[in-house]
Amino acid sequence: MLHLRLLTALLLTAPAAMAQEDLGAIFGKDSVRRDPVSSTFKSTRIINGQSNETLAKRDLDFRVAHRFGDMGGSGGGSSTFFGLDNSTDIRIAFEYGITDRLTAGVSRAKGSGNFSQLWEVLGKYRLLQQTHDNRSPVAVTLFANAVASSMKSSPDKADPNYFDKFSDRVSYVAQAVIARKFGNAFSLALTPSFVHRNRVGYKDMNNMFAMGVGGRLRFSNRVAFVADYFYSFRDSESRDYYETRGTKFYNSLGVGVEIETGGHVFHLNFTNATAILENQFIPETVSTWTHGQFRWGFNISRRFALGGR
Amino acid sequence: MKRIFIIAAFLACAASALGQDVLSCRNVRLRFFSSAPLEDIEATTNKGVSAINPASRAIYFKVPINTFQFKKKLMQEHFNENYLESDKYPYAEFKGKILGDADLTKDGSYPVETEGTLLIHGVSKTYRVPGTITVSGGKTTAEAKFDVRVADHQIKIPSLVVKNIAEVVEVTMTAEYQAATKP
Repeated sequence: MLHLRLLTALLLTAPAAMAQEDLGAIFGKDSVRRDPVSSTFKSTRIINGQSNETLAKRDLDFRVAHRFGDMGGSGGGSSTFFGLDNSTDIRIAFEYGITDRLTAGVSRAKGSGNFSQLWEVLGKYRLLQQTHDNRSPVAVTLFANAVASSMKSSPDKADPNYFDKFSDRVSYVAQAVIARKFGNAFSLALTPSFVHRNRVGYKDMNNMFAMGVGGRLRFSNRVAFVADYFYSFRDSESRDYYETRGTKFYNSLGVGVEIETGGHVFHLNFTNATAILENQFIPETVSTWTHGQFRWGFNISRRFALGGR
Repeated sequence: MKRIFIIAAFLACAASALGQDVLSCRNVRLRFFSSAPLEDIEATTNKGVSAINPASRAIYFKVPINTFQFKKKLMQEHFNENYLESDKYPYAEFKGKILGDADLTKDGSYPVETEGTLLIHGVSKTYRVPGTITVSGGKTTAEAKFDVRVADHQIKIPSLVVKNIAEVVEVTMTAEYQAATKP
C-alpha cells in the first residue's frame, strides 16, 4: 500500500518538477542550426589554388605572394642559398569585398611560364554556403580571371610570346570551388578548373581542363596545415610532343603551414610550381618535386575592414 | 480514502504548477560591449531565447554564439573562430532562479536578482545577476546588465592583442515575454 502511494506521488510530481526545471525544452526543436558554416578556410587561397572563401563586404585584402628558386637540383643548393637568391614569381594584389558574396580584385604578377609581366583582374562569387543542418552539404564558389601580359613581343613568330595583336597576350581561368568543412578541424575543396590561353606554343593546348584538390587541417585556433594539388588534363599528343623536345609537364603540389595572427594570414609553403597565377601553374608547370625543383614560398594576406566605423 | 486524498492533493499541486503559464521569448536582444585601450568591441544579436515560469520562478536563456553581429566582419570571424570557438561551443546558456518573493503574476516593476549557472565556451560559472522584471497588462518584460570576465570561461587572449580586447565584457539583455505555446 505504501509502495503504491509513493509510486503515485512520484508519478505525479515528476512531470511537474520537469516542467519547472527544464525550460530549455520549449526551444528544443528550434535549436537545429540552419545557419551557414563559416571559416571553411582562413584565407581566399589555399596555397596555389582558390579556397571557397570570399571577403566580407567592404573588406580590403592586400596580398603579397612570393615563390623562390629551386631548393635543389642544378639551380639550387648552397650557391643560391637553396633558392632564396632567386624569385620565380611575385604577385601583389588588392582584392575587395563588394558584397559578402562578391569579391573583385586586381593584381600584378611577375609571371613564370610562357609570359611575364602579368596584369590580372579577378572576380569571385560565393554561390552556395554549407549549412550546419546539411541542407546544403557543401559550399560552392565561382572564380574567374583575365590575365594580360605587358611583356615585349618576341621577334620569332613561332614563340608563344610573339604577339601579333593584344588578344594574344590574354588568358582566362574559370573555376568552381566545391568545399566542405568536416567538423571544426578539417576542410576539403574540389576545384574543377578550365584554363583558356589565346596564344600557346605549337602542339600546346589553348583549352585545358584541370581538377584541383585542397585541404586544411587545423592544429590549433591559429595554426593549420594546408595542401593543394592540381591535376592537369593535358592530352597525350601534346605531352608526347613536348617530351621528345625535352620538356616534361608536371602537376602542381603545394604543402604549407598557415599562421593566423588577427588580420594577417601567413602561408609558409613549398611547391614545385614556379608560377602563382592559375593561368600559368595549371598548364605550364615544368618543375618537379623529385629533382629538387621545389621551392620555398609565402603568401601574406592583410585584411583591412574599411566599413563599419 | 486516505490514498485518494493524497492523490487528489498531488493532482492539485501539479495542476497549479502546470496551470501557471510558462512565459517565453524567442527574440531576446543581447548586446555586449568591451572597451580596451586600442579598440571598443560591440556586438548584438536578437536571436536569443528565454523562458520564465512565474510559479516555480525558474528562468532560462540561450543564445547561439554565431548570431552575434559585429560591425567588422573580421572581428566577428575571430570572435567565432579563435575566442568563443562557436563550432565547438555553439550556445551560451543560463539556467537559474529568480530570487525574492515578488509576485510576478501581478502588474508592477520588480527589481529582482537571479541566481544560476551561465555556460559560455563550455565553461559553467555561477552568477548572481540583478535585473528588472516588469509586468503590465499581461505583458512581461525583463532587462538585465552584468559583467562577464572572459578568463572565467577560459577564453584566452594572446598577449599580442591584449591592448585590443578587454578582460571584462559588459552584457546587456532585453526580453519581452508571451505565454509559451507549448510547455
